[in-house]
Amino acid sequence: MDQLSQALVSGLLLGGFYAIMVLGFSVIWGVMGVINLAHGEFLMIGAYLAWGLFRFFGIDPFASLALILPLMFLVGYLLQITLINRIVERPHLMTLLVTFGVSIALANLAKIVFTSDPRNVAVAYSGSFQFAGVTFPIVKTIIFAAALLIMAGLHLFLQRSRLGKSIRAAAQNKTAARIVGVDINRVYAITAGICIALTAAAGAMLSPTQAIFPFMGPPFTLKAVTITALGGLGRIPGALMGGLVLGVTEIFVATYVAGIGTNLGVATSFILLVLILVVRPQGLMGGLRPVDAEAD
Amino acid sequence: MTTGPPADKNGNETGKKGRFPSLAPVHSLLAGWTGLALWLLLLLLLALYPYTGVSSLALLVGSQIFVLVTLASNWNLIGGMTGYVDFGHAVFFGVGAYIMAILVTGAPLLISPQWGFWQALPASGAAAALFALLIGLPTLRLKGPYFSIAMLGTLVAMREIVRVSRPITGGGIGLNLPPVLNRIGDYYLMLAIMGLVVSLIWWIQRSEFGQSLIAIREDEVGAEMRGINTTLHKIAAFMIAAFFTGVVGGFWAWQNTFIDPDVVFIETRTVEMVMMSMLGGLGTVWGPPLGAVAIYLLQNLLWSNLFELHLLALGLLLVLIVLFMPEGILGTLGDRSSTSLGRLLARFGRNR
Repeated sequence: MDQLSQALVSGLLLGGFYAIMVLGFSVIWGVMGVINLAHGEFLMIGAYLAWGLFRFFGIDPFASLALILPLMFLVGYLLQITLINRIVERPHLMTLLVTFGVSIALANLAKIVFTSDPRNVAVAYSGSFQFAGVTFPIVKTIIFAAALLIMAGLHLFLQRSRLGKSIRAAAQNKTAARIVGVDINRVYAITAGICIALTAAAGAMLSPTQAIFPFMGPPFTLKAVTITALGGLGRIPGALMGGLVLGVTEIFVATYVAGIGTNLGVATSFILLVLILVVRPQGLMGGLRPVDAEAD
Repeated sequence: MTTGPPADKNGNETGKKGRFPSLAPVHSLLAGWTGLALWLLLLLLLALYPYTGVSSLALLVGSQIFVLVTLASNWNLIGGMTGYVDFGHAVFFGVGAYIMAILVTGAPLLISPQWGFWQALPASGAAAALFALLIGLPTLRLKGPYFSIAMLGTLVAMREIVRVSRPITGGGIGLNLPPVLNRIGDYYLMLAIMGLVVSLIWWIQRSEFGQSLIAIREDEVGAEMRGINTTLHKIAAFMIAAFFTGVVGGFWAWQNTFIDPDVVFIETRTVEMVMMSMLGGLGTVWGPPLGAVAIYLLQNLLWSNLFELHLLALGLLLVLIVLFMPEGILGTLGDRSSTSLGRLLARFGRNR
């Protein structure tokens, strides 16, 4: 029973991180139909930024979000207006190849700049506390709380603000949004900025919990795809639900598959993904766009 | 920007590449027996090349180029001709490499005596083809980007699975193969495999099988309704491509004498295959070999001094090719419709 409740709590905490990690990926896919294969690399950049700020300026990873968010918003905005906006109207293959190229370039750039030595952010509060017989790692609990806060904030922004409404309009019907005066390129750039900033923020928050290295990105990209398939595109409750399901599944595999379970995270995620795609190609909640319908 | 017709249609209709002399006649000539004759002549010249008294380095370079040409042609069979853009094709390379290493080193769990290279080489290919069958049955049902992502996932997942299967695969430490230095043998073996694969692609492209693959690429539902067993054709193309990729992986492991999960299951190798095919001309017979040679020359002539920057440049080059030369060398110089990339892209659907 103890092991079960511990696994459940660990899984939910991990799932909270996954939910915040996947938001940027899922919103970019949902709003502009771009599958961003460089997603994990932006997470990696966020983690390195947090590491650099911690190592050289002594800034706490969670405090460093105040710097990382605006900086990475700018990066995402510029990337969108210089590169992705050029190909967003073109077929899927193009955006896949371009973001694949960006991901290779970023990972190897990171290798040149930071070398491939793993980096750690050793915060003072890296311990854990006990509650009701279950161990809560402090950092992961903070991430979980921050994830819920950020998701609530993004939800309010998309639902209530004028800009958020333009973003949703662009996602639902681009032509109609144009007709009523939405500047699609600007809305896309702002969306990309927000998403890249959120992804980097997730990386920064992740930095105290695992080693940072240039090639940490692809597993996160894969998990982001899995969660999106589980929870649907660009839907915040879906991201939370998908993240929690994946987190709990992974921890249960790690707990109950003896010996090698802890290293099977990526494989678990992949098997889940293929299962979902094969059994329900439209995603568990019907959120994935059928490819054929996009052809018109 | 308004939602106009797809970009590829635009290109075809306006034909703005008119400033180049049309190479369409050359294309149709190359696709036929003339192309095969020229190819066999080239193979003959390459076979005679070692007799001109070359260094062993030149032989190594030769076999490396043949590896790239073979990989690009294989990827093109599934990615270019059948239209299933495989982002994880390096997984078959890795499976082949590991089967070779496990068999020739008689790795721990195997009771049987060590295998020789010549028995292990076809086994590498067969294992990769079997793996393609198992993985293709679910993934080839997926369309467009979902297939690409599922295959990328297969690659990343296999890397982790191989890493944790320490008793069989040596885990993260990798496996050491017996060092056998035979540059001239490597050269001729790869020359033979490359010759076989490219000739096979040439034959497939002319055969009913190949035409069915192209029909699947253009319109899978339509092909199905015309009575083509699409599942069988896709699986067959996938297995052929995987078989030779596995053979090349096995050869590579033998030549490299060391493998670990990060060396063989690496995304970069898939990227290279995609880039070489795209640079040369997706879906053509001679484009991918041309692209492979071009990429190899680029890597070695331009970037040999910037080793660190090489992969960074590779990623940026991929972006540039997609932006400025999406139809490759053959497509850009010649008749646009010859590569059919536009129609392949249309099959992928457009973004909203």
